[in-house]
Amino acid sequence: MIAFEHVGKRYGGRFEALAGLDFHVRRGEMVFLTGHSGAGKSSLLRLIMRLERPSRGRVMVAGHDIDRLHDSQVPFYRRQIGVVFQDHQLLLDRSVFANVALPLEIQGVEPREAARRVRAALEKVGLLHREKALPIELSSGEQQRIGIARAVVNKPALLLADEPTGNLDPQLSADIMRLFEDFNRIGTTVMVASHDLALIARLRHRVLRLRDGRLIADEHAHEVAS
Amino acid sequence: MSDRQTSATSQGATRRRGARSQRTGLDSRARAWARHHRAMARDSAGRLVRHPLASLLTMLAIGIALVLPCGLWLTLDSARLLDAQLEESATLTVYMTPSMAEREAMALAETLRAHPDVGSARLVTAAEGMAEFQQVLGLDDALARLDDNPLPASVVITPLNTAPEAVRDLAGQLGSVDGVDEVRLDLAWLERLRRIAELGQRLTLALGVLFGLGVLLIVGNTIRLAVESRRKEIEVVTLIGATHAFVRRPFLYSGAWYGLGGGLLAWALLSLGGQWLAAPVQALAQSYGAHFSMPGLGLDGSAILLVSSTLLGWLGGWMAVSRHLAEIRPR
Ligand SMILES: Nc1ncnc2c1ncn2[C@@H]1O[C@H](COP(=O)(O)OP(=O)(O)OP(=O)(O)O)[C@@H](O)[C@H]1O
Ligand SMILES: [Mg+2]
Repeated sequence: MIAFEHVGKRYGGRFEALAGLDFHVRRGEMVFLTGHSGAGKSSLLRLIMRLERPSRGRVMVAGHDIDRLHDSQVPFYRRQIGVVFQDHQLLLDRSVFANVALPLEIQGVEPREAARRVRAALEKVGLLHREKALPIELSSGEQQRIGIARAVVNKPALLLADEPTGNLDPQLSADIMRLFEDFNRIGTTVMVASHDLALIARLRHRVLRLRDGRLIADEHAHEVAS
Repeated sequence: MSDRQTSATSQGATRRRGARSQRTGLDSRARAWARHHRAMARDSAGRLVRHPLASLLTMLAIGIALVLPCGLWLTLDSARLLDAQLEESATLTVYMTPSMAEREAMALAETLRAHPDVGSARLVTAAEGMAEFQQVLGLDDALARLDDNPLPASVVITPLNTAPEAVRDLAGQLGSVDGVDEVRLDLAWLERLRRIAELGQRLTLALGVLFGLGVLLIVGNTIRLAVESRRKEIEVVTLIGATHAFVRRPFLYSGAWYGLGGGLLAWALLSLGGQWLAAPVQALAQSYGAHFSMPGLGLDGSAILLVSSTLLGWLGGWMAVSRHLAEIRPR
């Protein structure tokens, strides 16, 4: 599904945020991405979303070198990826329902069909009863779950999450991770960037560990634990 | 993707069964496109209505910018200065020798009419000339005291070829006809009028372009602020796969609404102005014995005004958003 081939990323010409990245993520796999703050986790995810372009190497997604996508194709590429952002990226002046419906609105899904899917996604994250609320009326954990509902409403083949459990309590973090595991179980490829080493260790998935923009470990959680 | 197709198919099948359901892939996309257009037209109109004063001021600015070139155009149009057929008013007046009998005058008029370069010839007998003269000058009493009619009969001739040299040439030929006393032609006046008309046309065009640009700037600036205030929203929808067209659409509709509103205001201002000026203009015209009806835009003119103002608004919106889309990069 995802293949990084000698990928490097420089910001502003001199500073290397990522260097010499080489790894594959198979279709249907669930992978954690970890590392200290500033290690380059977000940068890596942004490369996959084609919000940034690699300074060196190739990023292949579903067999395509995404750097070769024409600008006009990028929106259609992005629609195939569900993304949970580090800072929610919710629209504060629209209801929970409207926020989750946004990807479907962009794709022109027929309203009744869209409503059905939005409710299904909200149900999945346990917030169906808050569909009329505005995002600011929700706790940050609830907001995070709205972001997840929006990312999965379109049933994407690839789900990326950047710190989806940042500043959530352990119980909620575990719940959210379990949600990702559910999506993974039905065939979605999932990549989650997270600081939460203890939680990652318990979940026993593959872990990519970054340090200063380099991949220093690619291992399974039970290997780390033992 | 496959999910979307199946849903579209089933939805198409329930809506209208039969052979047409095979086209639902394309069909549903077209319908989605139309749906978004409708939604954005409504949404952007709603945004304008929610800030009535600000919207009205913008539209008023647009309207005022449109009134000036339109008003000038109307004035020139009613003065026939925009009429390309202006030259047709190039006529020659052939005066016959005074005291010519009416029958002779008629015969001479026939002779003149038969000339190959003459388009039409209208005989004004001495008596008719006198009557016209009395009417224009209102000198009934003074003239009535005259025993004889001192005016000669005349023939007003419209040449076939209205080019100045041809007209001058014709005048020479007619002047040598027996019984013709004098031929008058007023080419200088015509020439001057044509220059004025050309000036007026250029002025209208220049003002039209200038104020059209003004409208673009007004709409552009308003839309720029709107884009700025919805920056976050643009970033978010771009992050989740919105095309530029999708992002642009509400702003294009806002621009078009502003343009249409401005056009309607301009139309109203022109009508009001026309009514306000109608009385004095007519009085003035009457004092010259002329018939002058106040110019109105008419159906065609109104349609052109509204369509072009809407298009200008749309274009202004397009320019403003496109400029900003380039610099909005989602973080
Ligand atoms: N747009 C940018 N311009 C310049 N430098 C950047 C940019 N984005 C990221 N960086 C730098 O790249 C490095 C990696 O940043 P990144 O956001 O990927 O880290 P991270 O692992 O996500 O950190 P955190 O856990 O704090 O979110 C950082 O040193 C950061 O300063
Ligand atoms: Mg980060």
